[in-house]
Amino acid sequence: MNRKIFTALVLILVSCGLFCGLALSQTGIKKKRPLPYEYGRVVIDNYSEKANLAPVVFEHWIHRSMFTCRVCHVDIGFAMKANGTDIKAADNARGYYCGTCHNGKMVVDGKNVFQACSRKVNVEDEKRCERCHSYGQKVASDFDFFQFSQPLPKERFGNGLDWEKSEELGLIKPASFLPGVSTPKNSLVVQKDFALSPKVEGMPDIIFSHKKHTVWNGCELCHPDIFMGVKRGTVKYSMVDISQGKSCGACHTTVAFPLTDCQRCHSKPVQP
Amino acid sequence: MPTSSMQKGKKRNESGLLLLVLACEVLLLAHSASAQIYLPQRAPEPSEYGKVILDNYTGAEPGSVVFDHWLHRSMFTCRVCHVDVGFAMQAKATGINAKTNREGFHCGACHDGKRVFEGKTIFAACSDAFNSNDRRCDRCHSLGKKGVRKYGYKEFTAKFPKGIYGVNWEEAEKSRIIKPVDFVEGLSVKTAKMQNRKDFSVEAAYPWVEPIDFSHEKHAIWNGCELCHPEIFPTAQKGTMRFSMFSNIEGKYCGACHGKVAFPLNNCQACHPRGPLWAP
Amino acid sequence: MAFEAKFFKARFWAECPAKFETRLKRTIITVLLFLGLAGLCGVRAVGGPSASASQADAAQESWRTEFYNICGKTEDAMTFSQEELTDLIRRCDSLQPQIEKLDESRKKVYLERLRKCRGLYAYVLDAKRKEKK
Repeated sequence: MNRKIFTALVLILVSCGLFCGLALSQTGIKKKRPLPYEYGRVVIDNYSEKANLAPVVFEHWIHRSMFTCRVCHVDIGFAMKANGTDIKAADNARGYYCGTCHNGKMVVDGKNVFQACSRKVNVEDEKRCERCHSYGQKVASDFDFFQFSQPLPKERFGNGLDWEKSEELGLIKPASFLPGVSTPKNSLVVQKDFALSPKVEGMPDIIFSHKKHTVWNGCELCHPDIFMGVKRGTVKYSMVDISQGKSCGACHTTVAFPLTDCQRCHSKPVQP
Repeated sequence: MPTSSMQKGKKRNESGLLLLVLACEVLLLAHSASAQIYLPQRAPEPSEYGKVILDNYTGAEPGSVVFDHWLHRSMFTCRVCHVDVGFAMQAKATGINAKTNREGFHCGACHDGKRVFEGKTIFAACSDAFNSNDRRCDRCHSLGKKGVRKYGYKEFTAKFPKGIYGVNWEEAEKSRIIKPVDFVEGLSVKTAKMQNRKDFSVEAAYPWVEPIDFSHEKHAIWNGCELCHPEIFPTAQKGTMRFSMFSNIEGKYCGACHGKVAFPLNNCQACHPRGPLWAP
Repeated sequence: MAFEAKFFKARFWAECPAKFETRLKRTIITVLLFLGLAGLCGVRAVGGPSASASQADAAQESWRTEFYNICGKTEDAMTFSQEELTDLIRRCDSLQPQIEKLDESRKKVYLERLRKCRGLYAYVLDAKRKEKK
């Protein structure tokens, strides 16, 4: 008898939980579309506030025009989630993470890349610190998004720029090798493109291009961390999971073109 | 050896369990009924319906902004503002300020002093320096001010077909009384057309509620695909997502539009044509 | 008594130069030997690169070289045989303890890089095994 009461109570609790779960879901609301210069912004605050500094604001658009995703996320070792890397000032000062390039010596586009986090900091260094530790502060950037984006082909969402085309046309030349950091590589044997069929009838098939992705990412960025399935068709990717940042959503929600651009992926016309 | 007291105890336990089960059933019924109790007893006044007060900077000059949906949706589809321009569908969620307007985003995407619409130049929103003598500001920053707005609801919508809850926008668009623009030069991007999914019925959570007839066609005219997918509805696949009337009333899913701008949730028959048991 | 003292004094000073000379020689030779030994043992206070430091450099270089050798082949992962991939994974596993002994920054960075690199080889190996089935 007690067991039956117990089972009934469990059932009630579970159903309550289900209703609560529905209420807590992330979907169902239309959030704002980030402005073109805001898209890809990452706020990093592992230790900044503890050190009485404003959290760091990292803009992807500045960096991805100069380096491929792979250089930072594989060769240097940044995580793909804010605060996931655990960067410390000491790491930067020793020449790791941001300090790999931000060391006061590296030259990019004819300019010296300013040093991040030196061992000793003076009062005069405050301006240099603020270049990154700028969350909530009014800090003028060296780079103007409007000037930068003018010559580049446009796209509907995200940064409003077609990064893929920009790279194809040679308007940007992101480097994929950092001497002294990247492992020397031969040219990549690119895997073929393939189609993925959606579960919803009427939606065009997704044409996935490995080539377009490996230009930026190489292999290790995605496999196996983001895509574990080895045999095509064994892992089902749902739009719910993707919109929560899993699989394709690891990039295509925050940095690469967002999910609202349906036709970019669902591009194979449905045969009537 | 079972005694009479043990048997009595057993009976007590059984009746207790029965009471528990009955209580749960009553709770479930009450839950389905209570969704309707939470609906507003009367839908808001048509001229007030869809009014958005933007007061991110409450108290600061030149005052809070009043945005009327009825004015803009007669000229543009929902998609232009909520996808191409990128406004959020929740209060205080977009982050509009004078700076973004001046840069040509948000309101400034159209209100730039240069764009011509229907033969008239659209006035610029938010100049560099706020001048208290500039009456132009009051056209938007009009909360609590009288006689500063150009268009009034009654005159503007006089010729529009009316429904139970104000203007019947679907009818107005069908009969071409309004021709909402879906492509804005310099803002919208032409893309390959994706065919609409067919209309389908959505089963309600409770068997005594009739299924909902959902028309993609009617929604896509105003919203395209990207307004709803994937943010509001991550998947259209039947059975993978469940939400309740409570979520709708909260302003999620269908309630993202139907309750704020599109016909309110009080209009049960519009979605439940065969009606739930208790239709107000 | 005075005569004896004087005699001994005179005798001492007569012998002294020779003794002094020997003692001086001995001291100089001892000091030189000491310096030589110190130099060989690599005492830092004396200055210049020490033998143990160069040993440490060699050790540092070896794990780094190994890392670059293993993880520089990720682009060709799909072209390797299962045996080659298994060997690369084994080498990754052997390298890991060496990286764990490094200082905090390098350990953090290279453990992550090694994890990604090993993960890719394991992934490709898995794919090849399932393909054969």
